Amino acid sequence: MADVGSASNRRDPIKSSVGNVAGQRRRQQAVTVAKERRESLVRAKRLCRVGTNGGDDEDARVENEMMIDEEQPVLESQTVKAVEELKSAVQSQGKGAMQKRVTALRELRRLLSKSEFPPIDAALTAGAIPLLVQCLSFGSPDEQLLESAWCLTNIAAGKPEETKALLPALPLLVAHLGEKSSAPVAEQCAWAIGNVAGEGEELRNVLLSQGALPPLARMIFPDKGSTVRTAAWALSNLIKGPESKAAAQLVRVDGIVDAILRHLKKTDEEIATEIAWIVVYLSALSDIATSMLLKGGILQLLVERLATSNSLQLLIPVLRSLGNFVSVDPKAMLTILVGGQNTEDTDIPDQISENVTNVLAKCLRSEHRVLKKEAAWVLSNIAAGSIEHKRMIHSSEAMPLLLRLLSTSPFDIKKEVAYVLGNLCVESAEGGDARPRIIQEHLVSIVSGGCLRGFIDLVRSPDIEAARLGLQFIELVLRGMPNGEGSKLVEGEDGIDAMERFQFHENEELRVMANSLVDKYFGEDYGINE
Amino acid sequence: MAMGMAVDTVGELGFPYWNPLRRRFPPDSPFFASGNVERELLAKQVALDFTEDEINNLQIIVETESRRISCPIVGCPERLKSLDNFEDHYKARHTASCSVCSRVYPTSRLLSIHISEAHDSFFQAKVARGYDMYECLVEGCGLKFKNYKARHRHLVDKHKFPTTFEFFKRTQLSKKRREKLQKQRVPKLKHEEDKEEASSDAMEVEDKASLDGLVSALSTLTTSDTTPSNVSFGRRHGRGLTFVPRSVHREKPTNSSSTPGPKT
Repeated sequence: MADVGSASNRRDPIKSSVGNVAGQRRRQQAVTVAKERRESLVRAKRLCRVGTNGGDDEDARVENEMMIDEEQPVLESQTVKAVEELKSAVQSQGKGAMQKRVTALRELRRLLSKSEFPPIDAALTAGAIPLLVQCLSFGSPDEQLLESAWCLTNIAAGKPEETKALLPALPLLVAHLGEKSSAPVAEQCAWAIGNVAGEGEELRNVLLSQGALPPLARMIFPDKGSTVRTAAWALSNLIKGPESKAAAQLVRVDGIVDAILRHLKKTDEEIATEIAWIVVYLSALSDIATSMLLKGGILQLLVERLATSNSLQLLIPVLRSLGNFVSVDPKAMLTILVGGQNTEDTDIPDQISENVTNVLAKCLRSEHRVLKKEAAWVLSNIAAGSIEHKRMIHSSEAMPLLLRLLSTSPFDIKKEVAYVLGNLCVESAEGGDARPRIIQEHLVSIVSGGCLRGFIDLVRSPDIEAARLGLQFIELVLRGMPNGEGSKLVEGEDGIDAMERFQFHENEELRVMANSLVDKYFGEDYGINE
Repeated sequence: MAMGMAVDTVGELGFPYWNPLRRRFPPDSPFFASGNVERELLAKQVALDFTEDEINNLQIIVETESRRISCPIVGCPERLKSLDNFEDHYKARHTASCSVCSRVYPTSRLLSIHISEAHDSFFQAKVARGYDMYECLVEGCGLKFKNYKARHRHLVDKHKFPTTFEFFKRTQLSKKRREKLQKQRVPKLKHEEDKEEASSDAMEVEDKASLDGLVSALSTLTTSDTTPSNVSFGRRHGRGLTFVPRSVHREKPTNSSSTPGPKT
């Protein structure tokens, strides 16, 4: 994780060739991430290459040479040796013992920080953990605490069983988050805890039961600093669930909502990014948090960030938070509209409704797949609201983008866009067997925008959900277009053909749907009255 | 929120009509997977590139090396590289330390628990009378226990602390001091000695009954020996200067009938 004061765009001009290759390799891996859950677990942790004291380290020069992978066996034997040194240092007393310990810790820490694959297993087998735990005792000098926590951080960044090995150290790491600890020490402990929390639900529960949440939460109260950023990251890992109890505990911390809102409003993008992830989980898991944040005006803050930032890292969680609020809380939906209509309410700016669609359109225009997909999802939920909501989207600059995306974008984005367009054309049913009413004005405009082809393509896709969407939209067209034009239009785009493919399809529901449409609208009478 | 199409709007055709519904996904839903990956991918790249930025920062490091601030507290060897660091250091080292035994704790709360349990005779008096005095260390838990061991059990059982965790570590005495203490204890506290061997690292006061028991219990408190433990070597300030060593107290045992007050 980057250190004090480093801006994320410093990354771009300086990239080693080794770093680039490694980065490319990992990008390829990312494509198959859905299947490799373990990989994604490892990614929830962060290796610490330069400590939280950042710049304090005299041997930074030495570290820079170690960009290339060392021979693994050499690294491992050096590690075993370092642990042995540490063992003897911990046992020794008298003058110079403290320095001896710090030196031994430092050596071990260097070995664990250098290569792409630190020799964690070797360290564990050699018995590093109990020694590191001892070095965390209360009253130990800061350097010792720091180096020990650093070693533990990088051990925890490894495989699941390696992270689990930190269990004996957890209570001490939690204790050193206390307000009397020096900032770099607290930060390094927070980092280690963040890695442990990122490992999985079981370890998160252990940390929670050890009281890790309150001190970690308090660490995000200051206005700035790398400590705030690390603590916020660790906190987001701690509350990510999927159980909601951590989120519920967090919102009960006095002043936390204010701190979150304050950071979202003013802080630099790096801290705001981690805070936004906290908001993602709070909005997904805690109703109380959701309503408190909404009351505090979070929607406006989210919209502003979306409008002003170009950092993908920040945009993703901000967008997702917006999506969560909209999908969960009807008040949020109201806020989006109210701004445009209610000029008496000075808390909510008049322009919020316009701004929401503008920033979502900005995301649709982005080159990043994630932003396009999730922005479409948010729009689909807004489009599932009242007539006013639908009108708002329909008349916005998002419309032409959506129509274009339906034809050109990759499959997962296409599906979300389909939801938006379909939702715009239908009034939300209040229940009962009533067939939801079609909003003809929107349907006509969207169809004439050329979306029918895109929907029929969806019918042809192997994804059941997509095919279903396509068939449902076709039904709208057949039913809702004026003067019975629907049938001709569908036929013109090879819709009959697409539907007839379902005649003997294995999925019964789709079969029935397709057949009933063909029977009703393209039956024996079809074409007779031409 | 369900999927976009609800089954309950099936009409006479049996067709599930399009019904706009809000769709909600839990945070670990595969829907969000690609966004999650982006987060950590970019974070790891930062870690790789950072070491190159260090090259650029070397000059700054070299410059600041020479401008260090020495901590003014007597006996403290720290040299800090900036005012911020010094403030951090002072806050950490010189404000949450026990004035009796100089142990340092990372929070005020832990410090105050330590002081009660290790140096407060009223605390021990209440323990002796059977009150639940040993607080759970986890903030917000609120439970209290009759003795150190019971609290330890609770930490392990309820809060998943490792069994090896010790809140209070006995200081490790030099051989000379150990022998000295043995000689002192033998004539007066035979029954306590057995207990000591049984629970070498824990601090327990089980005797509940009399004032005698209270006094003898008090003298088994070895918390403020002047010899520092391994791990807090160098962290005790002014040892031998700010308080009278325990060994001196030991010279005047149960002869004095005055109730031992809190130690300096």
